[in-house]
Parts: sequence; C-alpha cells; structure tokens
Amino acid sequence: MLACAALAASHEQQTSHRAARAKRVIWLFMHGGPSHVDLFDPKPALTKYAGQPLPESFGQVMTRRDVARNPLLAPVRRFRPRGQSGVPVSDFLPHIGNCIDDLCVIRSLHGDSVNHPQSVYQMNTGSILMGSPSVGSWVSYGLGTENENMPAFIVMPDPGGGLKGGPAAWGSGYLPATFQGVTVRSGTTPIVDLQPSGNISRSQQRRNLNLIQTLNDRHLRQRDQDDQLSARIRAYELAFRMQSEAPEVTDITQESAATLELYGIDQPHSKEFGTRCLLARRMIERGVRFVQLYSGDTNGWDAHADVDRNHAEYCLKTDQPIAGLLIDLKQRGLLDDTLVIWGGEFGRMPMSEQGRGRDHNPWGFCAWLAGAGVAGGRTYGETDDIGLRAAVDPVSIHDFHATVLALMGVDHERLTHFHNGLDKRLTGPDDARVIHELAGTSA
Amino acid sequence: MRFWLIFVMVFCPLPAGRVSASDVVKPASEYTEPQFTEADRSHWSFQPRTDPAIPSNAVADWVRNPIDAFIGAELQNRGLYPALQADRRTLIRRAALDLTGLLPDQSAEDMFLNDRTSGADERMISRLLDSFAYGERSAQHWLDLARFAETDGFEHDKVRPDAWRYRDWVIQAFHDNLPYDRFVQLQLAGDLLIPEDPAARIATHFCLCGPDMPDINLQEERRHTLLNDITATVAETILGLQFGCAQCHDHKYDPISQADFYRLRAVFEPAVVLKKNVSVNHLQIRSADVVDSYVMLRGDFQRPGPTVRPRIPQALVPSGGNDPLLSASGPGAQRLALAKWLTSPENPLAARVVVNRIWQQHFGIGLCESPGDFGVMGHAPTHPDLLDWLATWFVDHQQNLKQLHLLILTSATWQQQSRLPDTADSLQQTHWKQSLQEDPEARWLSRFPRRRLQGEVIRDVMLQCSGLLNRKSGGPGIRPPLPTELRRTLLKDQWKVTESEDEHLRRSIYVFARRNLRYPIFEVFDRPAAIQSCAQRTVSITAPQSLHLLNSEFSLKVAEAAAQQLTSGHPDNHQLAAAAFEKILRRKADTDELQDAADFLQQCGNAGTFSCHFSVPGSLLNSNRIHFVD
Repeated sequence: MLACAALAASHEQQTSHRAARAKRVIWLFMHGGPSHVDLFDPKPALTKYAGQPLPESFGQVMTRRDVARNPLLAPVRRFRPRGQSGVPVSDFLPHIGNCIDDLCVIRSLHGDSVNHPQSVYQMNTGSILMGSPSVGSWVSYGLGTENENMPAFIVMPDPGGGLKGGPAAWGSGYLPATFQGVTVRSGTTPIVDLQPSGNISRSQQRRNLNLIQTLNDRHLRQRDQDDQLSARIRAYELAFRMQSEAPEVTDITQESAATLELYGIDQPHSKEFGTRCLLARRMIERGVRFVQLYSGDTNGWDAHADVDRNHAEYCLKTDQPIAGLLIDLKQRGLLDDTLVIWGGEFGRMPMSEQGRGRDHNPWGFCAWLAGAGVAGGRTYGETDDIGLRAAVDPVSIHDFHATVLALMGVDHERLTHFHNGLDKRLTGPDDARVIHELAGTSA
Repeated sequence: MRFWLIFVMVFCPLPAGRVSASDVVKPASEYTEPQFTEADRSHWSFQPRTDPAIPSNAVADWVRNPIDAFIGAELQNRGLYPALQADRRTLIRRAALDLTGLLPDQSAEDMFLNDRTSGADERMISRLLDSFAYGERSAQHWLDLARFAETDGFEHDKVRPDAWRYRDWVIQAFHDNLPYDRFVQLQLAGDLLIPEDPAARIATHFCLCGPDMPDINLQEERRHTLLNDITATVAETILGLQFGCAQCHDHKYDPISQADFYRLRAVFEPAVVLKKNVSVNHLQIRSADVVDSYVMLRGDFQRPGPTVRPRIPQALVPSGGNDPLLSASGPGAQRLALAKWLTSPENPLAARVVVNRIWQQHFGIGLCESPGDFGVMGHAPTHPDLLDWLATWFVDHQQNLKQLHLLILTSATWQQQSRLPDTADSLQQTHWKQSLQEDPEARWLSRFPRRRLQGEVIRDVMLQCSGLLNRKSGGPGIRPPLPTELRRTLLKDQWKVTESEDEHLRRSIYVFARRNLRYPIFEVFDRPAAIQSCAQRTVSITAPQSLHLLNSEFSLKVAEAAAQQLTSGHPDNHQLAAAAFEKILRRKADTDELQDAADFLQQCGNAGTFSCHFSVPGSLLNSNRIHFVD
C-alpha cells in the first residue's frame, strides 16, 4: 500500500548478510510496562518476604516514584507450570500459557531509564533520546519490501491513542522518511487519505488520474524523461492501486467463524485486539516485513495503583488474541519463518506502590520470542531473587536488537547508514552482541 | 600525526539502580586528549579563506557576473556549454518560489514581462527580496537548522507558549536583512549584546529550540542532554562540522577532540538553568565560576572526567593564534566572545558555510554537497575557488544576505534553462545532449537543475492558486484541522483546532510546529523531525504524497475553491479549461492541453456537474507542472 515506494530515493541497500530464519516480524508491544513478576517470572522469595522492605543488600535503587523503601508485594496471581516444558506462566495468561512450548521467555532484559518515553524510545530505537530510527525502519531499510504495493513496516497503534513518546516510536529518524512505520487501523479506511474525501466515485477518480497523467506525460516528454518527474507519475499509479489493495487487506469479512473465534473476535473484550492480531497475519501473508501492534492507551499496562485490576483488564483483552495468532501462524506454516516478539518498554518493581500497584522497573524484566526457529518451552537469563535486576545472562536492549536482526539474517554491525559524519547503526557505537544461545543461531 | 599530551585517571561512581552490580563495574577510565598538528589543519575548510582571482577563460558573452566566470571556466575545462537563458515567465516563477515560497503576484509578473528596459531582472528580484514573504520563506530554512518546534517532545510534548516569538524574530531578521554575523551573534548572545532589548533575548531561544524532557527523574541527565544538543547544534549550524560526534569520544575523522566538544559546551553551561517540570526558554547570564565543566567520559552524564574551561576548538585556532575565550571575563563574557569569534574573519568556516547554504537554496545542492559536514568525511566542493570567492565577497559586503541572493539570481548561471526549448537550433541541441550525458545531475551547472517543491511551499502555492491564502503574518501558531486518526495518536487536547477558519488558511510557516506530530502535508513531503539540526532535507517521491494530494480534505477544499472561482462565467468546457490553466499555471494552455481538459470534461458524462469542474483545477494542482521548479 504505502510508499514502499521511495520511488525516486537513491537508496539501494538490500542487505542480507546470512541466511534469514525470520522473513518477517510481528511485534506485540504492551505499552505501559507489563509486570514480569506477575506474568512470566515467578519469585517465591517475593511471596516469602511480602510486606517487608527491600533488604539493604540490594543497595540503592533508582525508581520513578520513589518506591525504593516501600514493602515488597507478592505476585498477585498464581503461577503454574504449562505445556510439556512446564515453564511457568501466571493465571493472568492461560491462553498464552498453553502456547508456552513455542515461546522462549527472556527473563533478563534491562534498559536505562525509569521514564516511559525514554524507555519506549530505547526499546524501539536503541536510544533513550527522541529521533533515532526504529527497528522496523532499520529492517525495511535493510531488507526492503516483498510487495511493492504494501509498506514494509506497518504499525497498528492502540485505538485509545496516546503512546508515551508519540509517533517518534516508529519514526525513521535520520533514515529517509520512506522507512518510517505506516499507521494502519481496522476498517475500510485503514490509511489516512486512502480514499477521496467527499463524493468522488472510483471511475471519476480514474478519470481525474488520467487527466493528471496525460498532462504529466506531455510535460515529461518536453523534459528529457527526467527521473524525478517519471517517479512522480509512477507514484500516482501506485497510489491508485493502493486504494483498492489496502482495504482488501483489512477486510476480514471472508475469514471463517472458526478463525474469528480463535482470535477472540467473537468476544467483546478481545474483539478489538483480536482483530488487529488477525490483520497482522493478513499483512505478513501479503509480504509486509514488519508489523508492530500496540496494546494500551496513554496509561495502558502502567499499573501504579493496582496490578491485579489493571493486568486483569489488559490480559483479558490480549491473551486469547495472541494465543490465537500463534496457533494460526503455526497451522498455516507461517510461524517457521515469522518472528513474534512480545514485551513492553520495561517491567515492574517488586516493591509495592499505593499498596497494590507497582512502579516502573527497567533494571530487569521479561519479553518473549516465538517462531523463526527459536526453540520454545524455555527461559533465558534470570533476574535476582525478587525480580529487581537482571542477574544471570543479562540482555541489554542493544543485545536484544542485535539478536532480532541476526534472526532476520542481518549483521547488526553491517547494517549502517552514513549520517552526520558517522556510520550509524541500530545497536549504537558500543558493544552489542548477538545472543546465539537465545536465538539458536551460530556465531 | 597526533601525539598524546594529557593523561588523566578518573574514578567513576556506578550509577545507582542499573543491572547487577558485579556485571556493570567498568574499569576506571582515562581520557587522553590528542594534540592536533598542522597536517590535521590542512583540510580545505580549516584553511584560511582565500581571495581567488576571477577566471578569464569563460565564454565572454555569456558571463554576467563573477559567478559565471567561475562556473563557465569549469564548463570549458570539461568541454561543456552553458544552456540558454530561460524565458521571463520561467525566471519570475523560479525567483518567486526560491525567494518567497509563493508564485509571483499577477501584477508583479505583468510588470516584469512588460519591463523591456535593462536591469528588469534585477528590479524584479529586488522587489521579491523586499517583500515580507521573503522573510517568511527564509525563516523556514533557518528553522530547519535550529531544529525548531513549539513543544518539548517526549511524553508530554508540552507547548512552549513563547516559541512563536522566536519564529517571528527570525522572519523579521531576514526581512530587515540583518547582517549574517549580527544575526548569529544575537542568537547566541543577544541578551549580552543588547541587555535592554527583549527581542535580543528572544533570539537566544535558538540555543534552546531542541527537544527536552522537563519531567525526567534525573535532572542532571536532562541538563547534560540539553547542553550537548546546544553544543552540537551551534557547531553544526555555524561551523558546518559534525561536532556532536565528539561527545562520546574524539571525532573519528576530524580534528575535533572530545575535550574540544566539552570546552565548547563549557561556554553554555552557566547559561542553562533548569527547573523540574518547566520548559526552558532563554539563556541566563551567569559567571563561568558557578559551574564546573568536565569532559564527560563516553558521553555519560554520570562519568565526569578531566575539568575543562571554555575554549575555541583547537584545530580552528592557527598555531600561535589567540583564543579570545581565554581572556574573556565576567558573567557571560565567554559566550559573547564565542559569538563574536564564530562570525569573525578569523573563523575560516562560517562564511563558507553560509554562502553554501544560500547557494543550496537556489540550486538544490550546495557547492559543497554536504552543507552540514565540511569535515574530512564531507564532500569536497565542486568549485572550491567559487566558494571562497563568494565567502570573501560576502564578508566584504557586510555579510549582506539579500545582496548575496541578488548576485546569485542575476547570474547567467542561475538564469539558465532547465529544458531545451522547441526552437533550439542544431548546435544548441548538440550542446544540450552533451550536457545531459556528461553532466547528468547538473552538478557542473551546464543547465539549471529542476527540483521538487518543499511541502510548506506546496501547501502555500495550492492555497494561493485557489485564492484562499490568508497573508496575515506573525503571532502564535495556528492549528488547522487534523484527520481524526492522527489526532488520536496524540494525548488528549494536544491539537486544539484554531477556531477561526480564516486562520487555517495562513502560510505554512505559521502552522503550529508540534514536535511529536508533524502536520500531515509537511510530514509526507520530508519535513525534518526537529530533533537535530537539518542542513538538507531528503527529497522523496512516494505514493502517500499522491494520496494526500488526491484525497485529503485540504486538497478537496482547495480544488473546490478554485473551481468556484472558475465556473462563474465559464459554462463552456473549453472556456473552463482555458481559465483553469490561466488561473493555476499562469499561462495560456496550448492547443493539446486544452483538448486534454476538454476531452476530460466531455468524458465526465454529466458534464457541468460541480465534481467534474473541480476535477480540472484539482488535477492541475496535482500535476508536475505545479510541483517542480523549472
């Protein structure tokens, strides 16, 4: 649909450095910060010491809301071993729990900021500052698109809006604007300006376009077939094709009742997110390279006041749709070469806030990967005894990004863009490493 | 060759909270500053400006001013020939779009077309330079460099209620033709130069236009980020060097040490005073003694290294030369001294950088292709002598920007054709073919390089063609309606539509610049993100641009307004088509074009319906004729 088409852009980088295990990515971004200690990282010690202050041995802790001295809060829902592997998932996520044998839970991610927007930026761009290119932009820059009538990078924001950090989270930073995420929503007008305002029929629009193109063709002939001019002529034809193709992608009326049920679209609480998960599948089927879905409006998963109430709501909205997506991808054979990522911008503190809530915790938290040959039914890395900090096999955000790129067949040290006198890259100038044990790739 | 002088060991405390303690402790770091040699300074842009002789070998009857002598000599060296002079309609359209970002007024066009006395072009250009629209257009170029937006960015993206005053100051400064050195000095040290003048204080907002997160937990981090942004922006904008690269380590290619970066930053440290949750607006005047400045190891705000004092970057001070920052004393004195040094003849870069920027405005690409990087990794100029000659001329002419524009626009070089006219003889055709073949991108200027208009100009021109443009100037930014789906990506009430609809039709420069959401037509046409200084926009050509111009409410509104003006009194298809061409393209349609449009109206079936009628001006507004400067 989009401009996949930097029709006249000079950029020619189509980079595959090694065999790609993941041809495409679906990133489920839980905005606000889902609580690892209540979802995927059980901490018996936290139950044991609940109500007591953080032991002094943990040293100083920087927190957003000054909660370092608050009493510890036990996990609010029970954990159970799931699947053949027995990897524990809490009762918040029974459906995802059933898919655990396909998931690899990373328990040792760590970031650098206790603030939402900085962490949203870091998770998406590798930098806590505004304005660097997002992972999706890098991937579409590096790998291009598989369908010239579709954008390589699509974002489906939460319809509640208000992502902390705003559209810069899927921006292209210093990469050309063509590589930024294109926002798409459900329904018949998935893209801004896709259909004419006012009452203009399709045949009328075709006639308008013919007039534009006739004028442009004549103009072009008098101007030595100038590349820019002909690129602009092609852009109009592409735009016209997108007008019919894009609504087809978002039209789910032909999907079976069983599929709708699988994604929870038949249930009022999971209908909205389920629809977007289904759209994600339809997009990758049509060659979209990178799809990112956000769950959570301005507050989203940001459970400061009451983890149980907040997470009950968001888990109910997303649990079945996500499980449905995994099952559907698998039964269609798409999971083999599609990487699914689940995670937020950070996790939450073992200490309580306002009694039953938890504050932001970037020092140690979870995400999980599925598909693209990543072995499931296992965990990677550990936080300390109470889930405060990444302790064993820590995974920095740069490491995480390097690993995702490696799965896509891209060497993070070689995916570069020359900008302001430097070869910039997603993983920054400092050391980042591909975690082969996590990805199952070889060095 | 660099040899190593300073050697410092530093203990750096571990930031609280991060990862597992055992994992993160890095060894105590050290910083050793490289000392640069004459060899490091030998890069062309660090060398003192020269005053090259004007070449005499160019085709004499083509040369109109020294620019042509330089360009013509190079063409001759390459066996190329300049193109003929463009016709008057093309010239005034080109000049008006370049200088004012609008099409020429009909009366101005008529005046120029009918003025057969010598110097008509000079008078036409001077009139454009005198118009307020020149200030409005020039300001956008500068605001790109200043990473200007009217909000903080980050989570809350709070409005900076006085930011528009800086935008207005910039417009006025260009309109008043403030000499460039003065223009720069006021933006770095206006509060010190004219303490009694509030406008001079507003000018210093330049330093603080970038993103900021006032509610961040760690205010030290905020201060560090802000100061680094100021330092990088000042150096890139005025010196055309990628100074920001040196905030974490010595610059990898240029003779800019990390200590140079933090010594330049030290100039601004006393001037930046922060209060949590409050956006910053002005620089403060405080003594250098109130803060200690350090090299921040690896660019980490929690790892102060050796202390530094304000200094000019060492590579820019010739050996044995004076550093005026050393002798400056008193509150703000270093900042004032820096502002003066940056714009003084001793600085080899500033004049070269600014004349290159102006050149870029008129030819799409600068004589140095990397306007933000005059360093080792930047491009060497295509015409180094011309660049120096212009820079020297500019300094000799009191850094008069309008005169520089006039010089460029009255050159035969700028007045060349961008296409071969139908009337060309066989020799001209041969030369033209050669130009296309051997100068494919017109880098040697064997013809005028065609280019796409910028988004802000496209919007203004569309409003102008439809008779809707509201020319009111100045004041707080206006918010025309946004598509709901975009508004919903923002926090609540972040785009309160301006009540009066007339206001929605004002020039693009007055559209509220929210950092977290660029106005759609600007975004789709490559407006920079207002995160860091942007010296050159990318020029993309994409399908979403076409979708916007075909389908957006704005396009519909403009086409309807244009049609309304046309249909009254032109019921006949041919008449309507002819009127649309004259109104929008400012010229009579040729027979073929007229036939195209009339055929279209015929096919429309129920001809005479309004939707058919507005399709003609609507399609013209979408056509390449509008969107490119020929």
